[in-house]
Amino acid sequence: MNELLKELKRKIVEELQLKEVSPDQLADATPFFDGGLGLDSVDLLVLVAMVDRDYGVQIFSREVGEKVFVTLSTLAEYIAKTRKTRSV
Amino acid sequence: MNKPWLKQYEAHVPHSLTYPEVPIHRFLSDTVDRHPDYVAMTFNEIHFTYNELNERVNRFAHALLKLGVEKGDRVALLLVNSPTYVFAFFAVVKLGAVVVNLSVGIQGEELARCLNDSGAKAVVTLDLFAQGVYAVIKKTGVKTVILHSVFGLEKGMALDRGVPQPLLFQDLVASAGTAQGPATRVSPEDVAVLQYTSGSTGAPKAASLTHKNVVASVLQSDSWVGISDGGNAAVLCLIPFFHVFGMSACLLISVLKGYRMVLLPRIDLMDILSLMETLKTYRPISFPAVPSLWTAILSLPPEVAREHLSPIRMATSGGAPLPQWAHERFEELTGRRIVEAYGLSEASSATHFAPYPRGGPIGSIGVPLPDTEAKIVDRETGNTECGAGEIGELVVKGPQIMQGYWNNEALTSSALRKGWLHTGDLARMDQDGFFYLIERKDDLIISSGFNIYPGEIEEVLRKHPKVKDAAAVGVPDRIKGQAVVAVIALKPGVEADKQELLKYCKDNMPDYRLPRAILFKEEIPRDPAGKILRRMVRLEALDL
Repeated sequence: MNELLKELKRKIVEELQLKEVSPDQLADATPFFDGGLGLDSVDLLVLVAMVDRDYGVQIFSREVGEKVFVTLSTLAEYIAKTRKTRSV
Repeated sequence: MNKPWLKQYEAHVPHSLTYPEVPIHRFLSDTVDRHPDYVAMTFNEIHFTYNELNERVNRFAHALLKLGVEKGDRVALLLVNSPTYVFAFFAVVKLGAVVVNLSVGIQGEELARCLNDSGAKAVVTLDLFAQGVYAVIKKTGVKTVILHSVFGLEKGMALDRGVPQPLLFQDLVASAGTAQGPATRVSPEDVAVLQYTSGSTGAPKAASLTHKNVVASVLQSDSWVGISDGGNAAVLCLIPFFHVFGMSACLLISVLKGYRMVLLPRIDLMDILSLMETLKTYRPISFPAVPSLWTAILSLPPEVAREHLSPIRMATSGGAPLPQWAHERFEELTGRRIVEAYGLSEASSATHFAPYPRGGPIGSIGVPLPDTEAKIVDRETGNTECGAGEIGELVVKGPQIMQGYWNNEALTSSALRKGWLHTGDLARMDQDGFFYLIERKDDLIISSGFNIYPGEIEEVLRKHPKVKDAAAVGVPDRIKGQAVVAVIALKPGVEADKQELLKYCKDNMPDYRLPRAILFKEEIPRDPAGKILRRMVRLEALDL
């Protein structure tokens, strides 16, 4: 899980070209939106594409998105859980 | 006039069109006559046929009449893509009143200025945005506020004494006595839409678009594409109707053709997640979008992107150049091309389109639409026409061009000279008649398809108590085209951190204008006349 979180932080910073942020600075509980990374809807779509492309996990509904794109931890947990389910 | 671009026209596109002398809402009545039972729009699994749409439009028009809205009055729409927008738009134009088309992102002083500048008598909005309207209403002449209540938020609103009580859209439509169209005679020469666009100083200005302008614009785009067998196909309406691109390519083309508008509002961030499911469910024939959306969707794994994009026959991109890789990826996945277009609020929508369906050269904005003339003129005086390949200001002329800026003679005479609209954009034309944008003359930043004027951000930043001076510039961004960087000089002896200023920005400007990065400098470089040296600021921002 820690490795996945570390990897996600690096990918998010790279994918979204977050100029003011380095992956090490990001806390696991960093929110994606209000008061956190301050992402917009296009950023969200970019992350959805990255998660699908790199982890084979699709988040194509707002019901799931609202639960998953809360903090870096919630995203990592969902990826870990969904990947595990798929591989069983 | 030499028109080298005419040889690029596809066989189905006439060089010139005949424009019927009709108001915009004739599109709706004609489609109701032909296809009353076609689905007009779908919103959250709720569907309206064209007949149902027209009935509600008429009811709302009568409700507005009862409230005193008359021909020529301005009615502001502060709405996301929703049935309410469609009902209100057509109700207002059927009365011969004028739609003041406002972005839901504007707030505070900017909103007050738009309402005052237009002289809006009424505002139609959602309960979600009502607080913002009431925050400034006392500074405006707005007499009527109509809310579509989605969440019942109006119940908890504490209103000051003397402000108009909100009226509920649902109640007004339900209590309107008749579903017959209003009797108002509307001339094609009447103003239909005031399309707000900010100036480089942040002062709002409205392009005054007549029925004739808008009808011409829609017919030009339709003839360009020439699809005649679409039936009741779906059009994905994600681009906001409050932008001319969305108003034309999503709303009005759909109503003209009898297409089904699949409305995707963007009230909050999570709404974008419905996009993929919507593409899969409704398999739209047309999807107008901005480059940032295309690049984000095309970043999906190929098999997923292919599945979602393959039904789209008309993939349009406008607002900013689409990167080459996105063109290539789309073609690889679907066998079709994304067709780029160029337009402005002042031109009702598009003036240029890449040939459909074959597309144009990468990096080009295409060629002028039928009956549209375009040329490149010297950027100093605007009087001398440039030769092929030479860079100058793009000027355009055609039936879709605005009458002028609302109540602003000075700006109008500067932008419209001898019938030519001076776009402010630097461009060149090649030997074959294809046009290429070089840069915006007025330092416009285009991020995710939104036009952002540096002045809009700088004005807000300079009001911060710790800020002495500020400059905003655009830097390249792989997804959004450009991202905003704010360069700030603090007042002597004060300290501030970037998070504090970013939070201030979030509280005082719409999300799409938020700086992606902040850079502190002791001074903002300015020339002797006090003008910001943006090239220098940009170079520093690029080093971030």
